[in-house]
Amino acid sequence: MRRSLVFSLVTLLAVTGCGVGAQPSATPAAGGKVELSFLVFETPNLNAAFWDAAIARASAKVPGVTIKKLVTPNVDRTGYAKQLDAAGNLPDILQSVNPAGFAQAGKLAPFTDEELKNFIAPKAGAIDGKVYQLPYNTQVIPVIYYNKDAFAKAGITETPRTYKELLDVSAKLKAAGVTPFVVGGGGADTWADMYPLTGTVATDVYKKTPDWLTRRAAGSVKFTDPDFVKAAQKVADLAKAGYIDPAGLSRSYADTEQAFRDGKGAMYPMGSWFATSADNTKPDFEIGSFPWPSDDGSPVTPTFTGGGTSVSASAPDVELAKKWALAFDEDKENNDAFVKLDGSIPAIKGYTPPADMGPVYQATVDIYQKGMQDNSIVNAFSQETGDGSLPPGLADKAALGVQDLITGKKSATEFAAYLDDQWAKATE
Amino acid sequence: MTKTEQGVRGRDGLRTPRPPHDGRGDGHRAHARARRPLAPVLGRFALFALPGLVAYVLFVLIPIGMTAYYSLTNRNPFNPPTRFVGLRNYGELFGDPEFLRALVNTVVITVIVSVLANGGGLLIAMLLDRRGKFYLALRSVFFTPVVLSSVVISVIWQALLTDDGLLNVLLRRLGVENPPGWLSDPSLALYSIAWIITWQMLGFCVVVYLAGLQGVPRELQEAAAIDGAGPLSRFRNVTWPMLAPALTINTVMLLITGFKAYDQVQVLTNGGPGTGTTATMAFQVVQTAFTGNRIGYSSAMAAVMLVLVAGVSVVVLRLLQRREVSQ
Repeated sequence: MRRSLVFSLVTLLAVTGCGVGAQPSATPAAGGKVELSFLVFETPNLNAAFWDAAIARASAKVPGVTIKKLVTPNVDRTGYAKQLDAAGNLPDILQSVNPAGFAQAGKLAPFTDEELKNFIAPKAGAIDGKVYQLPYNTQVIPVIYYNKDAFAKAGITETPRTYKELLDVSAKLKAAGVTPFVVGGGGADTWADMYPLTGTVATDVYKKTPDWLTRRAAGSVKFTDPDFVKAAQKVADLAKAGYIDPAGLSRSYADTEQAFRDGKGAMYPMGSWFATSADNTKPDFEIGSFPWPSDDGSPVTPTFTGGGTSVSASAPDVELAKKWALAFDEDKENNDAFVKLDGSIPAIKGYTPPADMGPVYQATVDIYQKGMQDNSIVNAFSQETGDGSLPPGLADKAALGVQDLITGKKSATEFAAYLDDQWAKATE
Repeated sequence: MTKTEQGVRGRDGLRTPRPPHDGRGDGHRAHARARRPLAPVLGRFALFALPGLVAYVLFVLIPIGMTAYYSLTNRNPFNPPTRFVGLRNYGELFGDPEFLRALVNTVVITVIVSVLANGGGLLIAMLLDRRGKFYLALRSVFFTPVVLSSVVISVIWQALLTDDGLLNVLLRRLGVENPPGWLSDPSLALYSIAWIITWQMLGFCVVVYLAGLQGVPRELQEAAAIDGAGPLSRFRNVTWPMLAPALTINTVMLLITGFKAYDQVQVLTNGGPGTGTTATMAFQVVQTAFTGNRIGYSSAMAAVMLVLVAGVSVVVLRLLQRREVSQ
């Protein structure tokens, strides 16, 4: 009898996978290879085939590694990484996961200066001087992509250079029966509503005070200060004037992109990753682009540099994992694929994009290069990583708050107070 | 039949054959009988119960215990070390507008789902309580949403309810210039979610009520009709009382479904549009834990949710069962 009980207990434990000290990814795979889990995310631009091919190219350069691909259930890879971490299963390598919080808690391995020698901005996104996410690409966030046909039909001949001109353009479009802005954020893609605010914070807050978030962390500024409230008020006013349709908030990210393609709005404030999507799948109108304009027309170019791979400090072989991560992010073909599919602007020394890139991508890169020449580069609000970024989880709260701004449920001041409150909760 | 042929009933309640007389005293035999059958039967019972018991302990009791423990700490994986804070999290909960909003949203969803799915389910069950292949096929149709995953249901309804979705396209074709923002209007989104859950649970209620209706004796209906009772009176005085057990099952299941609503919120609105508009308690627990990183605080939310769901379910179950007995 006792034997039967022991047998059934052992069988149950075997079936349920329970065992002392079980570490899912710590066992070397057959053939002396180390198995490393790699967390990726899929979007309309970066599909499963892209990730599989990119993984295969990196693995070919680093013998002894077998990659087990994990795909996030939606594009919120940071949120999913937190869930996996809470269950003790933080993946060994993570793609484009915000390192804030993970790094400070010692969960990520820092890259050395030697490992970062091929990157144009090796200290981008540094946390206490250490880099935990490879700064492999730059993105301009937002660029305003616009429907040239809709502009022409509304009698608009030039793109706006000042914020007042942007309002004039919006008024003409509305009078012509076209919704000026396409803004989404439905379903789980709440983040997709952030870009008008990222634009106004760049022109009204970061231009004057580039290290504003570092000061916010130090407590010397608050969201309720006039500059930030003014930036939020601009978004609220765009919605109040009917230039942003609140009904768009039901659209997922993919549906929002499609709505712009379908001509349901004339301007689409989005990250530069939209550029190649626009080139690869052309709508039946021409797409132009311009940066979010400031009040006085002086150039402001909000960008984010980073977004590469990170390595877990508890990976079975951290050095090998870092080697693989570097191979993944520095591979020329992988970067060509990132450029062609996701409008990436690689920040790797000596890299040149493929010569056959389309006009929308070229125009987007021109905006970035002009920003470099003008010295008008600032951070992109809510996209920052490293020191001077929002506390973990606050970007998601901000995106929900922006919906309140757009639907009129919160005033700009209430929205700012809400962010201060959420900051306090996130850092307590 | 002799006593030996009949066998005797042991302490375990099982009938075992009386052994042949071996010349030893009856007292000794009775003592042996009393002890021997118990061990193998208990052993067999334990053998069958053990896997389920171990699974229950591992996947239900231990997690509940861990949640209760975490709820007394400030556990935050990004902000170690974890400290014991006593009941502070619980104190904070009841002054937290986000949690209270989630609580209200959950109650609203639960009430709507319980009333509409029960009412609609009963109505449809009565319409389907007929013989014929057509009605059999219809029963399957109504039950289909029950077997589909909530995520699949949500994706289907998202395609119907977004601004460019089928419903609004139809409304625009019918001349409605500004159709409602079913998922984007803060005053509508919660009701849209409640409706989707109702739609999914409708088939379950239909099947349970159908089973109840088919258990109503035809003679009772006929006797009432002979006594002059009309259709309404027959329903009120004969059918409805006989459906009491079905009402109990449906109501308790709907209460539990409403209280733990999460998937639909995650897929359709992410708690929005805006802050907390459609956030339910289950959603708030996950958000607080994995977006806000406050595992200790979210554990306190989960503990309150557990007590609330269990408490309401038990009270409602008792009330409805009392009604069954009285009828």
